[in-house]
Amino acid sequence: MCSTIDLQSVTKVFELPCEKQTSLKAAVLSFRKIPMRTLVALDNVTLSMRRGETVAIVGRNGSGKSTLLRIIARVYRQTAGTVSVNGRISTLLDVGAGIEPELTGRENIYFNGAIMGLTSKEIQSKFDRIVAFAELDKFIDAPAKTYSNGMLLRLGFAVAVETDPDILLVDEALAVGDAAFQEKCHRRIREFQENGGTIVLVTHNLNVASEVATRAVWLDSGVVRADGNPSEVVQHYLIAAHQDQEESSN
Amino acid sequence: MFAEIRELLRYKDLVKQLVKRDLKIRYKNSVLGFFWSLLNPLIQVATITIVVKYILGLEIANYSAYLLAAYLPWAFFQMALLDSSQILIAHRDLLRKVYFPREALPLSAVLSNLVHFALALVVFFAYIIFYIHLILHGSGILVTALWLPILILLQTLLLIGLTCIVSCLNVFYEDTKYILAVLLNVFFYLTPVMYPAELIRVWLQKWNIPEVYKPILYKAYLMLPMNALTDAYRKTLLPITNLRLRGAEVQALPLDYVALAGAGILCILVGIIGYAFFNKRKWIFAERV
Repeated sequence: MCSTIDLQSVTKVFELPCEKQTSLKAAVLSFRKIPMRTLVALDNVTLSMRRGETVAIVGRNGSGKSTLLRIIARVYRQTAGTVSVNGRISTLLDVGAGIEPELTGRENIYFNGAIMGLTSKEIQSKFDRIVAFAELDKFIDAPAKTYSNGMLLRLGFAVAVETDPDILLVDEALAVGDAAFQEKCHRRIREFQENGGTIVLVTHNLNVASEVATRAVWLDSGVVRADGNPSEVVQHYLIAAHQDQEESSN
Repeated sequence: MFAEIRELLRYKDLVKQLVKRDLKIRYKNSVLGFFWSLLNPLIQVATITIVVKYILGLEIANYSAYLLAAYLPWAFFQMALLDSSQILIAHRDLLRKVYFPREALPLSAVLSNLVHFALALVVFFAYIIFYIHLILHGSGILVTALWLPILILLQTLLLIGLTCIVSCLNVFYEDTKYILAVLLNVFFYLTPVMYPAELIRVWLQKWNIPEVYKPILYKAYLMLPMNALTDAYRKTLLPITNLRLRGAEVQALPLDYVALAGAGILCILVGIIGYAFFNKRKWIFAERV
């Protein structure tokens, strides 16, 4: 099986300024280098994901889950190691991110599609499917600022999924929307899985992780602690979390 | 750099969408919105005309046309830079979530202001034809206006380089936008927008330096890209006429092609250097915005 996502000994070190305010005036006048602190977010991570896999990344806050997702999405560049991704990535954004309130739903579909790297022509051919999935036919020419949160979510999800990506990256975005739409999303995701799409999702909802995913990866302080069957990995993770809690309370 | 440009071309529809969005928001989806957006420069031009023509006593035929020919390119320069200074911060959510060539953002700020400039030029030409030519029986559109595409191209290249640098700096230094606003204010007065470049030459004549340096200094002044461009826009769009400053005749000079060529090379260089500066840093933006 060919892998769609392949990470070889990937390390990500952040260099962040210690000060909140950074001023050009101060930098020019004093020739002072702004002191930086470093943070190792991923430490020598080797992972490979195949076509059709749905991988849930679990772990505590600050364990490097989102960093890993962003490395795969090519939003961050790794400090060391190699990353290779085969196929078009679609990212499920936070509700409302990438949606321009002043534009209409129709214009937003083209805008969002372009952000995902599609041409206007490609979006045009998928336009009806997107609108149908988002259930926005009646409001498609109204500005997005008049949309409810649920409508924004549906619009975002529809553009991300109905544009036929090979890889779908999801960061804690599935928990919104009413029950009916959630059910629809889950159905669509299963369809996507069956068609050989790869999904990487970061979630704190461990039920989702073990239900939807075919594989789970537990990240702890930037290191892969466990990788395999979702329910087993989640089990390990829960036990460890429980132990940590006991240690800290003792 | 060619690989970066190729990748950007793959995302040309994104740039198109960003420009479209900017213009839609600016004009509020209406033709009237475009004319509203001309109000600000027109008020500026009216005010400067009163100050320069009536209070300071600079006499040039059709001063407001003379001013507009340089003010519209200046407004393009200023607006593109101000828009781009904030553009990466304003798209924080996208930068942190989605991959796309980052230069699409400053480029869209330049291009949407370019479209706005082009539309304003159409209004300017209408003004020249219907008011200056038909009513005042002055000059119409000159053959030298054929220079316009070249001047616009050079200014666009200059702006691509500068907006790349400014938008990038503003990610790392939050006061960049304030410093930029101050600098633009200063350069508005130093650039020959409200007055002809020849007045700088007159002023240089009074300097207490050896005579041989004076033409060199003036040439250097004319080679600074925005000085060269405003002077060239004016001299190709309108007839070159002498002017009087408080009664004293000031001789107008023809367009200095050598200085313009020098400025053109500088525009291209700034474009390349700015883009390289941006490319070197563009994958850290997501970590810092």
